[in-house]
Amino acid sequence: MKMYTATIRDDALKVRSRESYYARQKQLFILVVVLVSVLPLLLIGWASSQYYKTSWLQQTSVDLKSSAESRKEIINRFLTDQEDMLATFVDLYSPEDLAKPSSLEEVFSAMNHSGVLVDLGVIDQRGVHLAYAGPFRRQLSDKNYLEAEWFREAMRNGRYASDIFSGYRGEPHFVVAVTDLKKTWILRATINSELFNALLASAEVGPGGDAFIINRKGELQTPGRGTTKTMIPQDELATIVSRSGTTISQHHNYLYATTWVNGNNWLLVLKTDINSSLAEFYRAWNLGILSILGASLFILVVTTLLVRSMMNRIEGADKERMLLNNRVREVEKMALVGRLAASVAHEVNNPLQIIGDQAGWINELLDEETLEQVKNYDEYRGAVQKIKLHVGRASTITHRLLGFSRSMEFKRLEIDINTLVGDTISFLENEAKNHRITVRRNLSENLPKAVSDPSQIQQVFLNILNNAIDAIGNDGSITIQTSIKQDRLCIEFADSGPGLPPEHLQKIFDPFFTTKRPDKGTGLGLSISRSIMQRLGGDILAENGKQGGCIFTVSLPAAVGAGFPLSSTPLKGKPAQG
Amino acid sequence: MNNVRNDAFSVLVVDDEQEFVATLIKRLTKRGVTCEGAFTGAEAIEHIRLKDYDVLLLDMKLPDSDGKEVLREVKRLKPEIQVVILTGHISARDGLEGVGDGAYDYLMKPVEFESLLESLQFANKKKAAQDNQLGS
Repeated sequence: MKMYTATIRDDALKVRSRESYYARQKQLFILVVVLVSVLPLLLIGWASSQYYKTSWLQQTSVDLKSSAESRKEIINRFLTDQEDMLATFVDLYSPEDLAKPSSLEEVFSAMNHSGVLVDLGVIDQRGVHLAYAGPFRRQLSDKNYLEAEWFREAMRNGRYASDIFSGYRGEPHFVVAVTDLKKTWILRATINSELFNALLASAEVGPGGDAFIINRKGELQTPGRGTTKTMIPQDELATIVSRSGTTISQHHNYLYATTWVNGNNWLLVLKTDINSSLAEFYRAWNLGILSILGASLFILVVTTLLVRSMMNRIEGADKERMLLNNRVREVEKMALVGRLAASVAHEVNNPLQIIGDQAGWINELLDEETLEQVKNYDEYRGAVQKIKLHVGRASTITHRLLGFSRSMEFKRLEIDINTLVGDTISFLENEAKNHRITVRRNLSENLPKAVSDPSQIQQVFLNILNNAIDAIGNDGSITIQTSIKQDRLCIEFADSGPGLPPEHLQKIFDPFFTTKRPDKGTGLGLSISRSIMQRLGGDILAENGKQGGCIFTVSLPAAVGAGFPLSSTPLKGKPAQG
Repeated sequence: MNNVRNDAFSVLVVDDEQEFVATLIKRLTKRGVTCEGAFTGAEAIEHIRLKDYDVLLLDMKLPDSDGKEVLREVKRLKPEIQVVILTGHISARDGLEGVGDGAYDYLMKPVEFESLLESLQFANKKKAAQDNQLGS
């Protein structure tokens, strides 16, 4: 039996190492499936976000550029409009006309419906104010502009819009000046800075963006917002100034569109904060990340569940197969042991026969001797008896071994079924008590005897009772009832267990069918029981009780009347006295 | 011991175990049974051919042939002979076939001498009954 314990331990080890194998397999499966499904998702997410970011930025710069160009046009037209208006008046009037008292005021008020102009002045070629209309008369009327830059530029070009300067009035402003064709005099207008600045204020540059104008020296011509309110930081200036046409450039987190206005004297700068213009994109990006995470989580959960159920099924199938293999191996081993035992028994039987015969012969010869002739007569008798006794023992063993492989030996003895039931119960009384199972006897009196093999029938009874105890587990009862139906003795074993599912009812007598753990049953017990009963001319049936539980009914031919010869049929099993 | 009726009858013991045959002959002879031995199947057939026996005690495993063949041959030659099979090599199938082929009984070694003698006597009685039937 050592061999078997060792095998069971090996199997337990195998099962344990297999369990970790399944766990590893499960993890690997989940990892692979998740990687295969989530990685492409992440890749697509990342690639599309990059693509959208780039195109978003492109769109932003295109928008910024067109915004800058439209601003440029507006500013240039504004300046040209002012210059054209001044030019019209220069053409229409002479300086002398305008120098007349209040005539310039009339022109000024006619020109300045929109309030774009702050003041208007007429200056001759020596830089002397001939006339002035506006709020700064006191400060400006006697000033000479010969040295002013705008004056010189206007005298040279005929038309000029100046940079912003403080001038005599002490306030930053810029002027538009136009000369007559002979450049003998200048009509000069100061532009309302606020109105001019408003042209930029409406530029679409988004939150954190800015729109301003700088001159060639890099000085602000219009107030910016934020960091560029009064002055442009040097590093920023370096990135934006030295360009021509409408240029897009990037500095830190800002995108710049720059273009020259006012005859290349001013640089219009539109600046937009990339981050704030990307805010929309980032909202979409966050939503994307969230949905990818959600999808990944979903994939993970579904994969885990799927893999788990799949692996469980595989594991179950493997285990079942392993159990079956084990059972088959066990049966093969038993068959091998049986064959081995049978061949040994066969070989030993011949010498046993001879030993027994020789002892018998001595015994017979001793009958002819007398105490006087043979000194140790009683000793010889005793020795011969012992030899016979032990040959009997040995033959019991060899016959049992043969019965182990082939249970052909049947005795035919007169049996009282009720007594046999009682004897069988006494074997299991302790076990039943341990499981708190009551065994009730409901035995019919005056049953006819049966002629059969009591030890084989007892084996069948034991089998059924053991199964009943296993089925009940703890707390319950087994009721045994004997009766006679026609010429058959019936023994019913009803247990209070859970009963059997209908599909099992048909299979329980099949070899190797078992609901027990592999170390608890071979699945052969009921199959052997049925073949025993059939060979004894009886049968065994299983059904579910009406009040639950399972009922096994064993039936046997009763020895009614004569016709059942006792133990002297041709197929008698002489030995097997054990 | 000699509780059995002392009807004399003849037995042929066939077994390759010479000591078994020798001892059995001695013991049977002592009981008044006419007894001879054979160690092989061929020898047994030869004996049967030459002489009439009441009962044949036959081992299933013989050096030159299978006991079943000897049984069939004997039954063919002299069907009235009752055959008791005594062997260490027994199986349910052998037993059923043996009985089917006309063996009277089937015993397994080692068997007590008394049981063996009883079986031989029953076999002889059966033969005597058959002879009577045939005779009448």
